[in-house]
Amino acid sequence: MTNNVTYTRRTLLAASLLAGITHCSLPALAADIIKIGAPLPLTGALSPEGQKLQQGYDLWTETVNASGGIRVGGRTYKVEMIYADYQSLTPRAVQLVDKLVSQDGVNFLFSPFGSGATKAASAASEKYGIPTIAGTASSAEVFDQGYKYLFGLFTPNETLTEPLADLVKQKLPGKVRIAILSRNDLFPLALSKDADKSAQKRGMEVVYSEKYAIGTLDHSSALAQIKSLNPDWLFVTGYTNDMILVRKQMSELGVNLPVVSMIIGPSYREFSEALGPLSENVLSATWWHPAVRYTGKGPFESAQAYAETFRKKYAVDPDYTNAVGSLAGTTLQLAIEKAGSIESTKVRDALTGLKVDTFFGPVAFGPTGQVNSYVPPVFQIQDKRPVVIYPAGIKTGDLKINAR
Amino acid sequence: MLVAQVIANGLVLGGIYGCIAAGFSLVWGVLNIINILHGSLILLGAYIAFFAYQLFGIHPFVAIIPAAGLLFVAGYLLQMTVINRVINATVLVTLTLTFGLNLMLDNAMIAAFKADFRKVTVDGTHSSYEILGATLPADRLSGTALAVLIVVALYLLLKHTRIGRAIVAVRMDRDAAALMGVNVLHTYALTFAIGAALAGAAGAILSMIFPISPTTSSIYLGKAFIVCVLGGLGSVQGVLVGGIVLGLVESAGAVLLGPEHALTIAFLLLILLLLLRPQGLMGRKGYQ
Repeated sequence: MTNNVTYTRRTLLAASLLAGITHCSLPALAADIIKIGAPLPLTGALSPEGQKLQQGYDLWTETVNASGGIRVGGRTYKVEMIYADYQSLTPRAVQLVDKLVSQDGVNFLFSPFGSGATKAASAASEKYGIPTIAGTASSAEVFDQGYKYLFGLFTPNETLTEPLADLVKQKLPGKVRIAILSRNDLFPLALSKDADKSAQKRGMEVVYSEKYAIGTLDHSSALAQIKSLNPDWLFVTGYTNDMILVRKQMSELGVNLPVVSMIIGPSYREFSEALGPLSENVLSATWWHPAVRYTGKGPFESAQAYAETFRKKYAVDPDYTNAVGSLAGTTLQLAIEKAGSIESTKVRDALTGLKVDTFFGPVAFGPTGQVNSYVPPVFQIQDKRPVVIYPAGIKTGDLKINAR
Repeated sequence: MLVAQVIANGLVLGGIYGCIAAGFSLVWGVLNIINILHGSLILLGAYIAFFAYQLFGIHPFVAIIPAAGLLFVAGYLLQMTVINRVINATVLVTLTLTFGLNLMLDNAMIAAFKADFRKVTVDGTHSSYEILGATLPADRLSGTALAVLIVVALYLLLKHTRIGRAIVAVRMDRDAAALMGVNVLHTYALTFAIGAALAGAAGAILSMIFPISPTTSSIYLGKAFIVCVLGGLGSVQGVLVGGIVLGLVESAGAVLLGPEHALTIAFLLLILLLLLRPQGLMGRKGYQ
């Protein structure tokens, strides 16, 4: 009996000592560092995009830490990014979110790349109640799940297709005939549906609308059919490598159409580098471009200042994926500063009500958690350079039409 | 005009598919190994051609020689030192072995070359020819012609050379071949080496037709598999027939049912053929 009592007392003593130590040491550690988990496709098919996003995160982290860190209520937090490579495999991204939260103990998360992976991983981060910034998801299907901790920085897909359809309609007389070729993947399909809607709304005739499988290496049959239908506008969706292949095969098969628009691809320099003169006059729309003229809060005071800082570090111009990586950090930083705390519910509430100007454009989230506060620019490759043709306030050229 | 274009696309693709599958079919037919590594070897050949062009300006068609040569040596050594150790084991063992080698090679290529897609763009290859209302891209047309030539060369090698006859003999009856004085292990290694060299040659050809990335090896392996089963295992003519059938089916299927169903139709055809004619369109026992 005595032994038992002693044992219990000892246990209690040890437990309280341990609790005391933990109580003292944990806040001391947490006071210094904010950990952000970011699953990225650093290898595999999406590695070009994953690496770009990482460059954006890194630039923000370095800039913030160089200026001392994030200041919250008299305390300063340094930022530590914890990266995890999900090898372009979505199921792996979901597993890594679990690992980042339960093993690495991250305070916040940045979503994996693209709408599909973001949607899959969002269930895991929601489960833990970790505020998550989705840099590269634009499809409404990602944000209509009723989640409370997911915030998307890309405006919905129709903000890309609506101005494109307007511009084409203005430039081409008569009834415009459009052909749509889409990668069978969440974002490209959603975008194609919006292109279809935007076109039909303006009285255009959709003469071809088909999907191609992920990993398709040959588009010659689809392009032969499109050629025989002779549309005025070809709208292709997919990722950079798909776009390069489609554009090359168009040239090989002699498919010349007045307007060719491709999303995503032309916004990356790799597109023009791989295609050379074939990239000429390809039309595209994207969420950010170094030519935009926004100023705002955060570590980068304007789009120009951001582009300069980026060039200094990486010796190339930033594209929208780089920029949205840095915007994810900036947005989180501004929300933490606004919340005056790093507690997840407080930061979540701060994000919900955030209304702030940034180098990327004004950031405010709609009821589903998707940003709805800026106008994405439309651009066309002209003389090897992307020329902004919309919105009017920042445009540097007009839409050019190809001769048939 | 669309019909002519669809047929032309199918034929051009078909020749290339035949070349992709030739080495795979040979190794499967002679060694009874389902070589999962084949797609990765094709990509290695494509990378050799890519760097030969980028560093030394060597045209991919010329780069077929170093690509096939290097892979021949690598294939011989691999078979002699690794695969021959388990050559008499069940198919599952060799399948697992080549699957493991495939993972290693793919990841090594990702580490060495990155997962980015690349393509050899030779000046002037965007030209195309108009034949009977169909537009034929110059690079694909010449690639296909070369691919068919390589398959014909394989046919002649097997039919008219001493080593070719040894390979066919081992394929038909290993024990009888051994009794006749054929060095079976050496013949196995040579067969695998020729298979690897064919993969390297196919890779060099398609480096200027398709974008290449270490992540796409399974696509080529899948095509090789379908072509082999369609054409008939171990038959050289079958490889060409299977390739052209697959090319035509994919090409017509993409137009009739939409591009995303091109491969679905190919696999349906594969299942049908396995049910009705399991030996393939041209399959026969042994080489002629």
